Amino acid sequence: MSAACWSCHEPVQGVICPGCGALQPPRRDLDHFALFGLPRRHSVDVPTVEAAWRERTREVHPDRFAGRDATQRQLALQWSAALNEARRVLKAPRTRALYLATGRSELLERGGPPPDPDFLDAVFELQAQARAEPAAAAVEVARRTAEVEAELADVLRAWEAGAGPLDRVELLLSHLKFLDTARALTGA
Amino acid sequence: MAHIGIDLGTTHSLVAVVLGGKARCLLDDEDRALVPSAVRYGEDGTPQAVGHPALARAGEPGGLTFTSFKRFMGRGAADVAEEARLFRYPMVDDPHGMVRFRAGAREVTPVELSSFVLRLLHARAEECLFVRPTGAVITVPAYFDDAQRQATRDAAKAAGIEVLRLLNEPTAAALAYGLQAAHTGARIAVYDLGGGTFDISVLELHEGLFQVLSTAGDTHLGGDDFDQALAKLLLAQAGVEDADGPTFRRAVRAAEAAKRELSAQDHALLRAELGGRTVEAGLDRATFERLITPLVERTGVACRQALADAGLQPGDIDEVVLVGGSTRVPLVRRYVEQLFGRAPHCELDPDQVVALGAAIQADILSGKSTAAPDLLLVDVVPLSLGVEMMGGTTERLIPRTSSVPASASQTFTTHVDDQTHVELHVVQGERELARDNRSLARFRLRIPPLPAGAPRVRVDFLVDADGILHVTATEEHTGERSQIEVRPTYGLQDDEIERMLDEAIDKAEDDIEERLLIDARVEGEQILHAIQKALASDPHLLGDGEGDAFTAAAKALELALQGADRRAIQAAGQRVDALTAPFAQRRIERDLARAIQGRMSDEVAEKLGLDDAEAPPA
Repeated sequence: MSAACWSCHEPVQGVICPGCGALQPPRRDLDHFALFGLPRRHSVDVPTVEAAWRERTREVHPDRFAGRDATQRQLALQWSAALNEARRVLKAPRTRALYLATGRSELLERGGPPPDPDFLDAVFELQAQARAEPAAAAVEVARRTAEVEAELADVLRAWEAGAGPLDRVELLLSHLKFLDTARALTGA
Repeated sequence: MAHIGIDLGTTHSLVAVVLGGKARCLLDDEDRALVPSAVRYGEDGTPQAVGHPALARAGEPGGLTFTSFKRFMGRGAADVAEEARLFRYPMVDDPHGMVRFRAGAREVTPVELSSFVLRLLHARAEECLFVRPTGAVITVPAYFDDAQRQATRDAAKAAGIEVLRLLNEPTAAALAYGLQAAHTGARIAVYDLGGGTFDISVLELHEGLFQVLSTAGDTHLGGDDFDQALAKLLLAQAGVEDADGPTFRRAVRAAEAAKRELSAQDHALLRAELGGRTVEAGLDRATFERLITPLVERTGVACRQALADAGLQPGDIDEVVLVGGSTRVPLVRRYVEQLFGRAPHCELDPDQVVALGAAIQADILSGKSTAAPDLLLVDVVPLSLGVEMMGGTTERLIPRTSSVPASASQTFTTHVDDQTHVELHVVQGERELARDNRSLARFRLRIPPLPAGAPRVRVDFLVDADGILHVTATEEHTGERSQIEVRPTYGLQDDEIERMLDEAIDKAEDDIEERLLIDARVEGEQILHAIQKALASDPHLLGDGEGDAFTAAAKALELALQGADRRAIQAAGQRVDALTAPFAQRRIERDLARAIQGRMSDEVAEKLGLDDAEAPPA
């Protein structure tokens, strides 16, 4: 995609105008993956994300524009904040999965997919058990967590292979959140 | 162009600059780099001395010398009850306001006291460099919250200093050590125990990019606490109960001297005038170490927290750097070595290392650095930022250790039908209940009356590279917007800063007058531009005779702007403002009517936003 530089009106493709050296506004048409030039996959590895973040940050960090005009300083701030947010979301497997499935980086407080009733019953039972027998409850929480994580991994693998939707991702992540709460109660 | 680095410390402060590719601290006439962070006030409430002469007169009658006021920066009286008791400063009793001390006949704030120290350092730089510095990097403890950072900025503003960047002290120290030469992927722990604050930061280095992974600390722990513990011991041994302020301060000074001796030798003599007689007591290092061990061990809690936040074990750390005068204490060094399993760096003077790093960052920000041209620092938010939710819980928008700049947004709605405004309470801290966290600001956003759940209020947080938060709230149906630079609950008002500027005691007075004139001109020009534009675009909203009256007032302002009398410019500007207020109101009402029909322009949003931020609380 090509646009005109806001400062000198020459056509510009990259982050910095080759004509006048002005920093361009953050590209709102790019998602977190595209921002780093990464494929839209769940199986990106963290060092790759980190390396891409460092490379982009070196270009647009506000310190690089400390002596420039207010517009460029503000753009550098926006760029850098956008890169930091993209990195935060892509680094953690769970937020990365949620972002792929929904475009959001946080689970909704309300209005997300309702948890399976059977799962909820089991978790509430575990939470009660966590107070009475924390050790036994911790083992069960760990077992169930591994189970949900395995299912999540299957869904993501199938999607990457072009053989399945991401519909269940948000639900599975909300299940994992319930299990995290239960684990915290066991003190593990 | 000269950019300087300033370490505004609890017990002492320094100024440094990069010259010939090398950072160095600037010295006074007696070749001293350190300036005591001390300000002396006379009984009549006039500031009498700053730095060495102020400290030399601590405990003398006829006035009061303030030290360690950094501990009170950005704090409310209720936050610092313990400090206030320790330092025995006469406080102004205002449980809801910011800390104010009584200095004889008048009141002073910690911000004002800090501004005196900053002004002294700035003047030193100007003398040494033969040129007025164009800007300064000022260091703050990494663990300073938003209110404390704002207070530091306010102090600089009051001293007439342009702040290029607030830099975290441990990060500055890592820069000073030139650890950018370390291998890529190296992890560095910076252990910074100063006079009044403790900070630990973990950094990772990748080809010139210094990234802070985590930071933790305690803004109420430092060498002062060692002195206090020792002073109490001395007073107890001397049989002095309920020591008054001057007596206690003499005991603290004796304790501090003994502490310094004990860094080099095994025995020291405590000697002070207490209760009308000279008291002497011998002290060995083992006793001193037993006394301070609980304090030193408190630093370990923060160190483990920082390592955990970075996802590291002590063995993953490649380099450890010591900062702060209190790391001269042998027990502290042993403790750090044991904690990280490696000998720490202490080649640089621990008192100077932060100022040297600040000078390097100032040099980098000049864009023409020769000392470290390709170095880049990426710091983190020390404490989570969020808003208070219904029921008093905290909704975190920016979690701690997020890299800065950081942004986040969240959409909220109403719980009652026809609500006409929502109140936002911005807090900082890790606690679940908002009231347990630091309150940064409250502000109100006007919203159109709609059924509960229908309004969509989007709150955008942006933490800039100084670690300072900016908040914007927008009602998404109307685009109504309220934007504030978060003024902490205990921050200074601009008129207070102006008063402090007016009361400047040194030669910086002329410069300040010049700045005030520039500010008045900028404001006057804005007013002039606005009224000219409004007259041109909305003549139909003018009442009888208003057009001529406004044009005359604008002309008068234009004339004043050609002169150099700041007060005349301000008066002419205020006259235009007052005269045209009804006209401005008509324009706002017209715009508001348009806005509610959904035809909102950004210009209107700005106006409403300003209007709103200044609205009194319900």
